[in-house]
Amino acid sequence: MRIGIPRGLLYYLYKPLWEKFFAELGLEVVVSKKTTKNTLKKGIEVTVDDICLPVKIYHGHVISLKDNVDVVFIPRLVSIKNKEFICPKLMGLPDVIRANIKDLPPIIEPTVDLTSSWLGFYRAVFEVGSYFTNKNTVILKAFYKATKNFKNYTQALEKGARPDEILEGCCNLLSNKAKFKILLLGHPYNLYDPFINLNMIKKIENYGARVITPENFTETIFKTHLSKLNKPLFWTLGNKLLAAAYQLKERRDIDGVILLVSFGCGPDSLIGELIERWIRKNTDIPFVLLTIDEHSGDAGLNTRIEAFMDMIERRKAT
Amino acid sequence: MGSVSTNLVLIDKKCRVVKKIYLKTRGQPIKAIQKGLDFLGKDLRDENIAGVGTTGSGRMLAAALLGADIIKNEITAHAIAGIKFKPEVSTIIEIGGQDSKIIILRKGIVVDFAMNTICAAGTGSFLDRQAERLGIPIEEFGSLALKSRNPVRIAGRCAVFAESDMIHKQQIGHNIEDIIKGLCEALVRNYLNNVAKGKELKDPILFQGGVAANIGIKKAFETALNRKINIPDNYDVMGAYGVAILAKEKIEQQKIKTSFRGFSSKDTSFNTSGFECMGCSNHCEIIEIRSNGRLISRWGDRCGKWNEWQNLDVI
Repeated sequence: MRIGIPRGLLYYLYKPLWEKFFAELGLEVVVSKKTTKNTLKKGIEVTVDDICLPVKIYHGHVISLKDNVDVVFIPRLVSIKNKEFICPKLMGLPDVIRANIKDLPPIIEPTVDLTSSWLGFYRAVFEVGSYFTNKNTVILKAFYKATKNFKNYTQALEKGARPDEILEGCCNLLSNKAKFKILLLGHPYNLYDPFINLNMIKKIENYGARVITPENFTETIFKTHLSKLNKPLFWTLGNKLLAAAYQLKERRDIDGVILLVSFGCGPDSLIGELIERWIRKNTDIPFVLLTIDEHSGDAGLNTRIEAFMDMIERRKAT
Repeated sequence: MGSVSTNLVLIDKKCRVVKKIYLKTRGQPIKAIQKGLDFLGKDLRDENIAGVGTTGSGRMLAAALLGADIIKNEITAHAIAGIKFKPEVSTIIEIGGQDSKIIILRKGIVVDFAMNTICAAGTGSFLDRQAERLGIPIEEFGSLALKSRNPVRIAGRCAVFAESDMIHKQQIGHNIEDIIKGLCEALVRNYLNNVAKGKELKDPILFQGGVAANIGIKKAFETALNRKINIPDNYDVMGAYGVAILAKEKIEQQKIKTSFRGFSSKDTSFNTSGFECMGCSNHCEIIEIRSNGRLISRWGDRCGKWNEWQNLDVI
């Protein structure tokens, strides 16, 4: 049986977990191909205008998969941390997809909701596993192997590798030769899809910088820094960005911060503002906000990145 | 080379502006550059040119046509020019054809900047369009705004909203000066709330870019900020001036010979053509520039396989 995983949204965080789990259950895993113009075009055709770019692109990935697989995996992530939530658009993702795309194969849509208890996670694991086998031991074993794989992934991330490097299988970019260290903040689906962000990581690194991202920080960092908030935010992904910014006061090795948001992102309109204000008030690290949408002309982005790197270089020289 | 204007500046060894020209790009950047080259080169020979720099959204194209020694983004270029004009400058407001920017400097170093995000509301081309719609030459726009006694409030958050608001105000009988002044105020409000949001605008403040010619906007800035706004003598060509300085620095520091193609470029026929690369599923749009049939530059691809033309000996 072939199971399709769309290469979009939280794929960039959980691919090593999902893929291994399904493989261990004896399924053939098909991940949709890298995002292209056509993925976007197909996605835009079926979605409403107001929705954010990463969700449109996710639609494109589902469309590219639907005729080649027996089932498609679209998890409904409601909450992965106590009293926190994932973006509302992702909570309703399977429903949105079903409403927008016709002739879909069956959707495997486990609900992951850890608001009340983190047993909710195991509920989701068994819900998915029981589609394919009725042996609980097989599910448990597959899950064990998958979590081990996932752990290796997160450990590599904490050591400084980025998801795009690991998922692409090139980890030789970890050199310390870089002149600058840039913290690129943003949601994983915007940071690690070079099509969405017009190859931004490569663009920045071409100026002799090493790009690090929120995925490179440990859970401890997040916990420590989020305790500074009077009241934690509702959004797990937003909290992560905020914590990554908050640690900058203690770090002296970051030369600049770039915040990448997709146009129309509800949570980011608030979190971006919090991050920007905090960085400006508490640090003197250069900061720039970059917004992405459907634009495929990258002149505007190039100008901003070049000016930002120029600024950092000239500041460092004095 | 900007979206609306193409500007050429000639500077001497001491960075003084010898000659300058401000031309409308009018969708034909190559023609505009050639016209400018013709003007600058009237009593000069190719040997008189020690270095060339290009900036602005058309900087790649301009560099290909002229043979540039340095290609720089317009933020850095404007900052360099601003510092040259007033070394102690702390804030540069720059409104161009399609971009608006703020550059914050401290002690001659850029410490922060911002540009309008993906929307180009409230920039020069919007003012141009409104002037055209109202049948007023853009040159008179500013002075007309100053005549207003009772400015109306125009929605400034979005150019589309602003235009419909202006039409509504005009249809209920407000006079044109008041509408124009309202528009200037809306544009300034939009700039301060978006581009300059959260930034500390310290004195001295410079106002650069084509829109600085508009006295109505300058006045609206001064009223909103309650501060004096300085407009440099060469406000309209500051980007070009800045990159000229950078070219001079580079040539002097690295002791290199310029790659200037010569003034004959003004008569060379340049052709641009484009094609969609089918090498992978990205289908990048590749642009090629040819001079008398010979390929001189190419860009537009994500992977770099087409723009590596510079490494090829055959060209």
